[in-house]
Amino acid sequence: MDTMAAIKQTFFQECEEQLVELESGLLAIEDGTSEPDTINAVFRAVHSIKGGAGAFGLDQLVRFAHAFETALDLMRSGRLSPSRAILKTMLMAADALADLVRVTRENLPADEAEVGRIVQQLELLVEGGDGAAAALAPVAEAPAAEDVPDFQPIQISLADLVGSAPEGARRFKISFEPKPGFYARANEPLTLLRELGRMGQCRVVCDTSHIPALSDLDPEGSYLVFHIELETEATESAVRDVFEFVEFDSQIDIEAIEPEPAFDDDAFARLMSLAAGAPQEMPALIEPVVRIAEPPPAIERVEADSQSRKAEAGKAEAAKVAGGAGATIRVDLDRVERLIDLVGELVINQAMLSQRVAEARLSRSSALAMGLDDLEQLSREIQDSVMAIRAQPVKPIFQRMSRVVREAADMTGKTVTLHCEGESTEVDKTVIERLTDPLTHMIRNAIDHGIEKPEVRLAAGKPESGHIKLSATHRSGRVVIEVSDDGGGINRERVLSAAIAKGLVEPEAQLSDEEIDNLIFLPGFSTAATVTDMSGRGVGMDVVKRSIQALGGRISIVSHPGRGSSFLMSLPLTLAVLDGMIVSVANETLIVPLTAIVETLKPRPQDVFDMGGDTRVIRIRDTFTPLIDIGQVLGYRTEAADPANCVVVLIDLEGHARRALLVDTIQGQRQVVIKSLEANYRRVDGIAAATILGDGRVALILDADAVVANAHSQAAALPEMLEPAE
Amino acid sequence: MKKTILTVDDSKTMREMLKFTLVNAGYEVMQADDGVHGLEVLEGMSPDVILTDLNMPRMDGFGFIEGVRRNARYRSVPILVLTTEGEPDKKDRARRVGATGWIVKPFDPEKLISAIRRLAA
Amino acid sequence: MSAKQKKPGTIVLAEALDITQAAPLVSELLKMRGSDIRVDASNVRRLGGQCLQALLCASSTWAHEGARLELVNPSPEFSESLAAYGLDPELFNSQEHAL
Repeated sequence: MDTMAAIKQTFFQECEEQLVELESGLLAIEDGTSEPDTINAVFRAVHSIKGGAGAFGLDQLVRFAHAFETALDLMRSGRLSPSRAILKTMLMAADALADLVRVTRENLPADEAEVGRIVQQLELLVEGGDGAAAALAPVAEAPAAEDVPDFQPIQISLADLVGSAPEGARRFKISFEPKPGFYARANEPLTLLRELGRMGQCRVVCDTSHIPALSDLDPEGSYLVFHIELETEATESAVRDVFEFVEFDSQIDIEAIEPEPAFDDDAFARLMSLAAGAPQEMPALIEPVVRIAEPPPAIERVEADSQSRKAEAGKAEAAKVAGGAGATIRVDLDRVERLIDLVGELVINQAMLSQRVAEARLSRSSALAMGLDDLEQLSREIQDSVMAIRAQPVKPIFQRMSRVVREAADMTGKTVTLHCEGESTEVDKTVIERLTDPLTHMIRNAIDHGIEKPEVRLAAGKPESGHIKLSATHRSGRVVIEVSDDGGGINRERVLSAAIAKGLVEPEAQLSDEEIDNLIFLPGFSTAATVTDMSGRGVGMDVVKRSIQALGGRISIVSHPGRGSSFLMSLPLTLAVLDGMIVSVANETLIVPLTAIVETLKPRPQDVFDMGGDTRVIRIRDTFTPLIDIGQVLGYRTEAADPANCVVVLIDLEGHARRALLVDTIQGQRQVVIKSLEANYRRVDGIAAATILGDGRVALILDADAVVANAHSQAAALPEMLEPAE
Repeated sequence: MKKTILTVDDSKTMREMLKFTLVNAGYEVMQADDGVHGLEVLEGMSPDVILTDLNMPRMDGFGFIEGVRRNARYRSVPILVLTTEGEPDKKDRARRVGATGWIVKPFDPEKLISAIRRLAA
Repeated sequence: MSAKQKKPGTIVLAEALDITQAAPLVSELLKMRGSDIRVDASNVRRLGGQCLQALLCASSTWAHEGARLELVNPSPEFSESLAAYGLDPELFNSQEHAL
C-alpha cells in the first residue's frame, strides 16, 4: 500500500472516531449533560472530517461537513440555541455524515437526495437561526454570508496564470521596511531576501541610515530598510507571495519597472480574489429552496436519555487524559492476532511440558517442577496481557444503537428513549464486532413488537414514551448484556397459538410461561400481527440466538405481561481461552467451563430419585436438582450411568437455574486454548468448541446450557413419553 | 543538516499528510497531538519551524503559540498555523499571539514547502 | 549568552544571532563602549537583522568615538549573510564606519 493510501485509511479510521465523538456530544447537549467544551468537541469532530476530506479532494464530504460545521459554529457562538428541534436536525445530520463517510470509503454513490435534503435543513438553520434568535439578533445572518466559500480545492498554478503569456524576464523594484512586529513574530529579512534571490537576479541595497546611536538603540527595534531590484520570470503576484506573512508587519512597495506582459486576466483576478480571501461563488450544490422561518421537520419522537453513558464517557475520557495523549499506539490487528495465536501455542506447549514432567513422576518440589510452575504463571500473565490488547469497551456499539433507536422509533411512529449502562465494560474486539447485528435486531424488535404505540401506553397508564435499556456488566468472567424494554411484554397466548399453527409445538403441549417465551427463538417463528416494514426482513430471533451462540454466548428472555421484556445475553470475555474442568464421560474427555461450575460432589445413591423415564433428580442439601447424564445427552452411551460410580458437577445456568451433571471422573482443571469446532469441523450441539490437551489429545468443551436445553427439550417436546414406561 | 519541523495537530490524518509532504521535501518531522503535547515535545528539541493546527482539544493552537513564545528559547522559532478558508479573524488572532504565518487547509504541498523554506533560514 | 569575554576587549558572537541574542549583544556592547574591542564572528551560523543592526550601530559609534572595533575570524556564513543583506562583506574590516 502506498503512503497516500495508508494515510487515507488513517483518515477513515479517524472519521469513525470523530463520528462517535460527534454523536455522543450531540446527545449530551440534548439531554443537558454536556460540558462547556462539548460543543467545541462536536464542532472539532466535523471540522476535522472536513479537513481530512479536503486533503483527499473528497468534495462531497467536504461540502456536507462544511454545511454542518457552519450550523454547529452558530450553535457554538450562541447564535443558535440548542433546542430540541435543532438537535434533532443535528443528530440527523450526524447520521447522514456517517453514511456519507461510509459510502465515500467504499466508493459507493451517495444518496444525493438525502444529502441535499439535510444540507438544505442545515442551511435553513443557518439562515433562520431558531426563529426567535434570528428575530432578536439579525447579526446571525452575517457569518452565514461570509462563511460560504467554495471548498473545492482551487488549483491555479502559476503555469496557468502565465500560460499564454510571453516568456521573459520582468524587473521589479521593491522596497521593504520591516517593523518591530516583523521580528517579534520570528521573521528574518534574510530568509525573504534569499527567497527573492532564488527567483532570479537580485540586487539588494541595505539602507542603514535609520540606525540610531548605540545609547538610543532598541535591541528589538527595526531600523534596516532594504531596496531590491529583482529580475525574474515570476509574476508580480509570485513576488508578493514572498511577503505574504509580513505584509502587516512591514512596509512593502513593489513596482514593476517594465510593463507586465499580457497574461490571463481572469486567472489573475481569481488568484487575487483568492489571495484577498474574497469568497468564491458557491457552486449550485442544491436546487434553490423556499426559505421558511420555522425549524425544519425533524424526528420528534426519539430522545436519548444518556445520563449514565455520559458519566461513563466522562470517566473513560478522564482516564484517557490521565494516561497522556502520547500513551497510545495503533497496531495492525494482524499482528495482535498473530501474537494471540503464538501465545495460545505457548500455553498448549507449556501444558504438554507439564504433563511430561508429571508423567516422569518428578517431585513437585523439584527444581524442574517449580520452574514449570513459574512458567505456567508467566504464560498465563502473558496471555491475560495479550487478551487485554484485544479488549475494547462496548461504548461504540452502544452508541450505534442510539441511531438504531432513532430510526426505528421514527419508522414505527413511537416515542422511545434509550438508556445505556456500563458502556466502559470491555469485551474482546471480535465479540464486539459480532454483537452489532444481534443487538440491532433485538432493539428493532423491542421497538417494533415490544413498545406500544403512544396512545396505547397512555391508556395503560404508562408514560407516553417507551424506554429501552441497554446495559453491560462483567459477571463471573463473562460479560452480560441486557436489552430490556418497558413495553407490553410477550403476548404468550399469541406466541403459543402461532407456534402451534406453524407446527413448532404440539397442540396438546403443556408449556410453562418461560418455555412459551423461549419459543420466539425457534427458527421460522414470527408473531407480529402485521408484518412491519422494519422487522419483516426475514431475520428472526432464531438468527439472533444463533449468532450469540456462535460467539460462545447464551441468550435468554424474561418477560412480564404489560411490563415489558428483557433479553439477557451472556458472552465470553474472550474467544481464545477458557478455564475448564477436565472430566471423563464414557471414556471421552470433556471440558466443563469452570465459570459454570458451582461445586462437585460424590452422590450418595439414596439422594438420587428416579422420576420415571430418563428423568432423575438429586437431593443436594434438601434441594432437588434435575440430574443430567451427559453421556446420554451427547449420545456416548444409551444406558443411564449408575450415580454410585459417578461424580456430580453442579452447574449454574443462565437465569440461575441449577443442574447436576453426571460425569464418570474428574481429571483436573486447567486453562485451555479454544479451537473453534465450527472453523475446523462443524457446529455440534451441546459442544461449544474443542481444545488440545497437554498430551496432544483433542477434547471437546461442553456447552452446559445447550446440553441442559437438549435434555430439557427432549422432555418438553415429548411430554407423553414422560409417562412412566415401566 | 536536516531542518526539523514540529507539527501539532489533533488529526492523525493531517499529521500524516504533513509528515509525508515534509519528509519528501527533506525535512525531519516531530509530531504532537495537541497544544499540551506540543509544549512537552518542544522541551526536548528545537525545531526550525513549528506548524500547528488551531482547533485542538486540551490546549488549542492559540494557547500553544502563547506558550511557545513565552519561553525565551523559542522566541525566534517561526510558527505557521493551519487555518481553514474563511477564518480571517483566526489568522489575526494567531498573529497577535505570535504566529509567523499561515497555511490554508486543505494545503497545497508546494505552497507549504515554499512557506517553510521562506521561514527555515 | 551572546557574548562572553575571553580576554579584555573581546566579544565572541553567538552561533545564532536571532532576536533572542539582540538585547544581550547590545548590553555587552554598551559595557565595552569607549575601549578598543575585537568582535569574534567565527561561531556565527545565522545573522539576524536585529543583531546586524546592533553591530552596524556599534561599528559607527566606535568609529565616531575614535575607538577601534575590529571584527575577526568571520565565519563563511557571516560573510555570506552580509552579502545577502546587500552589505559589503569586508564592511567591518575597512575602517570606515557604516553610517
